[in-house]
Amino acid sequence: MTSAGIPYEHAVEAWRAAAPAPPRSLDVPAADVLAAHHPDHQAHGTTTLRVGANAGDRCPSVLADLLESASLVDDVDIAGTAVADTDVVVVGGGGAGCAAALTAADQGARVLVLNKLRLGDSNTVMAEGGIQAAVAPEDSLQRHFADTVRAGHLAGSRDLVAAMVHDGPDVIRWLIQLGVTFDTVAGDAGEVLMARGRAGGTTVPRILSCRDHTGLEIMRSLREAVALHPGIVVRDHAPVVELLTDTHGRCTGAVVVDLVSNAVQLVRANAVLLTTGGAGRLYVGSFPSSNHYGATADGLVLAYRAGARLVDVDSFQYHPTGLAWPSALVGQLITEAARGAGALLVNGHGERFVDEVAPRDVVAAAMLREMADGRAVERDGQVGLLLDVPSLVADQPEILTDRLVTLAKLAARAGVDPTAEPLMVRPTLHYQNGGVVIDEHGATGVAGLWCAGEVAGGIHGRNRVMGNALLDILAFGRRAGRAAAHAAGERIRRPVGLHHLQQWQRGLVDAGLPLDRRAPLLFPPESNVTPDDVMARCR
Amino acid sequence: MRIEIDGRKITAADGTTLLGAWLAAGHPLVDHVGCMGQGVCGACRVLVRRAGQDEATTELACVTRAEDGLQAAFLDDTTPHRAHPYHLDPTHDSWDAHGRVTEVFPEAPSCRHCDGCNNACPVDLEVHEGVVAAVAGDLVAAAGRFEDCVMCDLCTTACPEHIAPNHLGLFLRRMTTSLSLRPDDLLRRLHEIERGHMTIDVHASVEERG
Amino acid sequence: MTHIGGSPRLLTALDTLVGVDLDAWLAGPGGAALTAAVADPAAAREAVRLADLRGMGGAAFPTARKWDAVAAATVPAGERWVIANGNEDEPGTFKDRVLLEHAPHLIIEGALAAAACCGAANVVLYVNPRHAGVEAAIAEAVAQWRDHHLLDELERVLGEPVRLRVHASSGLYVGGEDTAAIASVEGGFPFPRRKPPYPTTHGVEGMPTVVNNVETLAQAAVLLRLGAPAYRDLGVGEASGTRLYSLSGDVIRPGLYELPSGTSLRSLVFDHGGGMLADRSFKAVFTGGPSNTLLATDGLDVALDPDSVVAAGSRLGTGAMIVISEGTSITRKVAEYIDFFAGASCGPCPPCRTGTHQLSQILHRIDTGHGTPADLDTLRSLTALLPGSGNCGLVDAAATVVASALERFPHEFERQVHHR
Repeated sequence: MTSAGIPYEHAVEAWRAAAPAPPRSLDVPAADVLAAHHPDHQAHGTTTLRVGANAGDRCPSVLADLLESASLVDDVDIAGTAVADTDVVVVGGGGAGCAAALTAADQGARVLVLNKLRLGDSNTVMAEGGIQAAVAPEDSLQRHFADTVRAGHLAGSRDLVAAMVHDGPDVIRWLIQLGVTFDTVAGDAGEVLMARGRAGGTTVPRILSCRDHTGLEIMRSLREAVALHPGIVVRDHAPVVELLTDTHGRCTGAVVVDLVSNAVQLVRANAVLLTTGGAGRLYVGSFPSSNHYGATADGLVLAYRAGARLVDVDSFQYHPTGLAWPSALVGQLITEAARGAGALLVNGHGERFVDEVAPRDVVAAAMLREMADGRAVERDGQVGLLLDVPSLVADQPEILTDRLVTLAKLAARAGVDPTAEPLMVRPTLHYQNGGVVIDEHGATGVAGLWCAGEVAGGIHGRNRVMGNALLDILAFGRRAGRAAAHAAGERIRRPVGLHHLQQWQRGLVDAGLPLDRRAPLLFPPESNVTPDDVMARCR
Repeated sequence: MRIEIDGRKITAADGTTLLGAWLAAGHPLVDHVGCMGQGVCGACRVLVRRAGQDEATTELACVTRAEDGLQAAFLDDTTPHRAHPYHLDPTHDSWDAHGRVTEVFPEAPSCRHCDGCNNACPVDLEVHEGVVAAVAGDLVAAAGRFEDCVMCDLCTTACPEHIAPNHLGLFLRRMTTSLSLRPDDLLRRLHEIERGHMTIDVHASVEERG
Repeated sequence: MTHIGGSPRLLTALDTLVGVDLDAWLAGPGGAALTAAVADPAAAREAVRLADLRGMGGAAFPTARKWDAVAAATVPAGERWVIANGNEDEPGTFKDRVLLEHAPHLIIEGALAAAACCGAANVVLYVNPRHAGVEAAIAEAVAQWRDHHLLDELERVLGEPVRLRVHASSGLYVGGEDTAAIASVEGGFPFPRRKPPYPTTHGVEGMPTVVNNVETLAQAAVLLRLGAPAYRDLGVGEASGTRLYSLSGDVIRPGLYELPSGTSLRSLVFDHGGGMLADRSFKAVFTGGPSNTLLATDGLDVALDPDSVVAAGSRLGTGAMIVISEGTSITRKVAEYIDFFAGASCGPCPPCRTGTHQLSQILHRIDTGHGTPADLDTLRSLTALLPGSGNCGLVDAAATVVASALERFPHEFERQVHHR
């Protein structure tokens, strides 16, 4: 998809001659660049779903293969297996899962958190830039709402956006109560104000941050709070491979594989909450991925098979500035905060080609256009654009030590002096814009099943603004946790079974789909482990 | 180049990380893995010994590069640490913050000053100095030492007095923040929202740009 | 008191086990060794060399070489040190505590003889306060030597007052390492230091120091009294003297045995120890620590002296013999001993703490039925990766025991892991 570019040495010469390059906006309408170059708009590598609630919708083939797959377990596999009871089971202990678990447990529910890897292993811990919340006097909830809806190309649910935006300031208070710190600045009268950065495509600086490791700061506090909460049981290395349902199709629990003891186990719960994250490790469109090892769309597969409806599953976000060189560091991100602070994107001719703080999808599409048209930079067979950090440092000498500390460390690992040499970057698969359809409380169309975080969809439309992901996972994690705890208050012991699978298998057979393709994937393609390998360990 | 991880002999390409080399060699990986190169999740802890060296070091396999003759072994994510339970109570008397440190982490004053935590830290934090500062009551300075901590628990495994230094550091960070961070703009905005002075009109017109 | 058996009985003779009664000790066999050392220190060192006395705390280093090195130092007697190391803390070893409590004067006389031989005026009895009764006994015994005419004789030779004192160790296992003992005597935490430099040149406060195990000093006292030829003749064949064997495990009569050096393992277990418990057959023995290579049935006829045991691929160590029958699991025992090392690992060297902890995790996984073949690969790889990575030999010892168990009993490990 990329043609060879201008040799790196020449490109650096051109950059040095012009730096800092003068502003240059897109020479064609953004909509045209999106249509021509954004991967969401390309038919290549997509297919039409044939079974399930979204039959007829377009979907990337790598994801469709998983959505339209058979279960890893049959009824006979779970016969004779003991059932453990809890009130709320949370699948996936990342940011959304921890927020949900803490909220549900604070309401008095007994909570079980199941982790495929370990508690806290998630995209959340990797989030760098920050979290959006409208706290500034010149900002407002309405403005945050409008920025979010607009960036999503008006495709997001207004009710969901309003719910998220409304929770913003309260989420920040909750985080501070949990011990999450934020950068502050002194106001004119010496008052303490939250330091704010600017997200691409927004009308006012709204990004709150803890340096450029905001996700780490949030995740380590959330994880510790969950680990120490007396009402929460955490189990690591225990992925969910199927949901349990009763005869009415209500979700009543989960089938768990314990990778420590290599056994299949059943958990019955009054409420099941999927907070499994995204799908970046599917390498949609063969793009490199910035995602955590566990981002394999497991929750989408489980929910879809149980009957939940998905939205915008053909829409993904490509972060403009993933490293493109050296090859060992491809997939590592440079936070958007760098562009927010003034770092410029430059092509092989030393020219800027897009407003760096335009919405992410526009910037990424503009970069892909440069790459497709031979204006990109080539080094050791890797192709990308130049990120002019040296000019930023010349303007703000303290920025690498005060704010962009992760960038400085990454540059050091790449062997690049960020004060003297630009970094080579390229669009990198970063975020699943769509997901399971939820209401303002995280409820899905399947009774007993809630979703929150990246697995859920409908909030960000077809493009997400920087900083809204961390807000989304916490706002809806708390909402879903509260709703699940409320539902679990009934404490009814419902029957558990795999009642949804018969109908699902009929669908596969009717559509002529293979029955030996099994999912969830659990571990990414490079893991050298198939889901069948995982199940074989238990036999 | 040839390396060995967990007893498997692996041919690694120049520039690859230990984790990348393990995967490229076709070995299965279902734990000891997380952020895949950012070095922030602490899952891929390894013991590393380089060719010709006596010392072994504790590092993160997703950022450590392969070197010819290097031997490595993954370290389990279980730690021998005792839980140090606490609850951040917003109504807690913040004048007693120093007392809380040794109440929650009673082993901290027993520090042997062996520097094992510093030697174990894969992100080169001055962990020991943080513990000493915490015991001395220099709480904000102590908390600052743990700013870049990725909670890999290597210092907790390394600590012979079971102080759990990284959890102590996190406790200090959490406690000092929750007791003292009160941004004025946030307080004002919460006040507005809670009194109904700021709402959202979901039907307001929003123009798409571009 | 621990069962004491064996013959000939010198360290453990009834007239030696007189407790803290100095008069009783001097009325019996006491005094001759110190008198000989004071009369001619060089001749005494030569006797120790001829008797081929080796360290009994684990390393079997020739005692005369340490003494000669300190004797050759140029600093005054007041800056030379003798430390009698009675820290003893490893599983299966229980000889030093018996000597310290019941024959303290034998040890003190040996230490004072060493001081005479080395020209050292500082003599420290470094004892483990966790051994009930030991610290009090040795303190009282030391008090009885004050102003004794034998001590006056020693001071006359040294030209300095002798500073004889008791130093309670931390009780930690690592405190038994010689550089750790030095750190403790200096008043610090007993962290071992990398060697070289060795204590004989850089010991307490950087001064020449002899660190001898308390049994070694007791043996020195015996050999100086008997003379080297008579002492040598006590051993079997080329082996010299007697030594204490701490026998435990699956035998009928565990206990402390003083036997001729070079007695066979078979004789120790079957003649003295009464044979295997419950008629089970002999499987293996963890020797000396348990920080060395295991001896299995093909090692039963090994002569228990330092050189013969090394020739058989192991080390005599402290003389501790933990015997395992066919009814006892090797994996479980190894897990137990690795837990000991993991708990004893002292801190400064992360490979030691994390490495022993990791060995422990894997062994417990195998022991509880959750191990995999990959775990065995990892164990083997760790036993190659870890040795030499610590300041002292603790992590080496742990790796040695695991490597040896894997090598001698691979089928037991294989049987316990799951092939999936």
